[in-house]
Amino acid sequence: MDAIAQMVVILGTIGVVMVTVLLHVAYLTYFERKVLGWMQDRMGPMEVGYHGLLQPLADGLKLFMKEDIIPSGANKIIFSLAPILSLIPALIGFAVIPWGDGSLTIFGVTFRPFITDLNIGILYLLALSSVGAYGVLLGGWASNSKYSLLGGLRSAAQVISYELALGMSLVGVLLMAGSLSLVKISQAQAGGFWHWFAFALPFPQIVALVLYGISAVAETNRLPFDLPEAESELVAGFFTEYSGMRFAFFFLAEYANMILVSCIAVIVFMGGWHAPFPFLDFVPGIVWFLLKVYVFLFGFFWIRATLPRLRYDQLMTFGWKVMIPLVLANIVITSIASYFWMN
Amino acid sequence: MSLTAVLNKVFFGEIVKGLGLTFKHLFEKSITQQYPHTKPILPDGYRGIMSLLRYDDGTERCVGCALCEIACPSNVIKVVSAEEPGRPLNRFAKTYTFDVTRCVFCGFCVDACPVDALAMTKEYEWSSENKRTLFLDKEQLLAIGDRNFPLRGKKPEYRGSIEGDWYLTAVNAKAYPQQAEKP
Repeated sequence: MDAIAQMVVILGTIGVVMVTVLLHVAYLTYFERKVLGWMQDRMGPMEVGYHGLLQPLADGLKLFMKEDIIPSGANKIIFSLAPILSLIPALIGFAVIPWGDGSLTIFGVTFRPFITDLNIGILYLLALSSVGAYGVLLGGWASNSKYSLLGGLRSAAQVISYELALGMSLVGVLLMAGSLSLVKISQAQAGGFWHWFAFALPFPQIVALVLYGISAVAETNRLPFDLPEAESELVAGFFTEYSGMRFAFFFLAEYANMILVSCIAVIVFMGGWHAPFPFLDFVPGIVWFLLKVYVFLFGFFWIRATLPRLRYDQLMTFGWKVMIPLVLANIVITSIASYFWMN
Repeated sequence: MSLTAVLNKVFFGEIVKGLGLTFKHLFEKSITQQYPHTKPILPDGYRGIMSLLRYDDGTERCVGCALCEIACPSNVIKVVSAEEPGRPLNRFAKTYTFDVTRCVFCGFCVDACPVDALAMTKEYEWSSENKRTLFLDKEQLLAIGDRNFPLRGKKPEYRGSIEGDWYLTAVNAKAYPQQAEKP
């Protein structure tokens, strides 16, 4: 009986998390268009609903009703599989994201503020983000279009290059926290912002945070690293041939990935659900968590509104000759600092 | 490379500057005009759709001279002139058709008109699903003029002219050969 009740609670948590994430993804597009509009002295969506608040709904309806087109030369199975392969890793990554602390036990059933506390949480997330690149690559290949293929190839090269920097920028924190579990990493940062790993002794990971941010932008194919979907050269890159719901899946995957990398950045570097000052602890953890995530997401849009797209060789040069040496140096220095700190 | 240049490069100086600029624009008032909800203020001399005008007593100004038809560079005006019943020598436009779909809004017709019977209005929202609605006749053009120019000019007095007096007396005396009425 208890096991069944626990099962129901877990399934309920999964449902709540998925619905919340998808709602956030939908309204992230609205948020992005508004922020971009304001930064360009425009208004953004204004027509559907009050100040365009129903715009995501209208966009979703439009995409649902669109004709489903498969190009004649496309590999039908892989073409239909690719968007799903892209979206699912982005969504199941949220299984290990904790948005609060503690647990609540009512009638022998435990409610916890995360779906599961995997002891290899970060490894799981990095693995999933690599799987997500398959969707883009296969989608580009299966469309039987030169633009899609080039977009997919670029995406693969870019993701592999920046995946290294992304993974290794987290190593410094892992050395300091001594765990791969996201819950344990968050708990290690309790009590004021000077305990957050971005600012904590023995070696503040602020450089790693900046490097993580840059890699995350590249990893999610956002401007200024949106080479896989460079409009001026590749029409739309890997989803040139996609329309309707399949396009929507790619779109959702991109925004879900943005939220996911922001969540990881918040948990790993910015103290997760912890308040910046101990006297602010009365505010629920989820408020702080969402606030920090939205600061990161705002950063994504801010960078998009500011920077132009890089050239392809610049992207690769920056990835291999700047990011990776810096990340390696960060790991070495953090290791030495942690060693002396412990002894 | 100087120290400041190195520091600028290490801390992404230019990028930070650009980010500051975009952040400043976040709080600036947008220059968007929400067009269907707020209409723009048009300048004087704006050339919208063309209209026909009337005198203050409600009679048409147009004398059917068809100079507008000649002046029109895209041949959108067609005037069929006729004699005014009861007032020979006075002519008027029996039909006056105007094809908005091909009009270039140059205003040459207004310049050409000797009696100021034409005017460009400030109306421009004439989009339609049916192209035929854009083929206007005299009544429609007069209606446009009526709603855009409520203040009408005074009708000049012609009867005082020498020629007019002579002609009217001749007509009234039946000295002028009348056209036989058709059965």
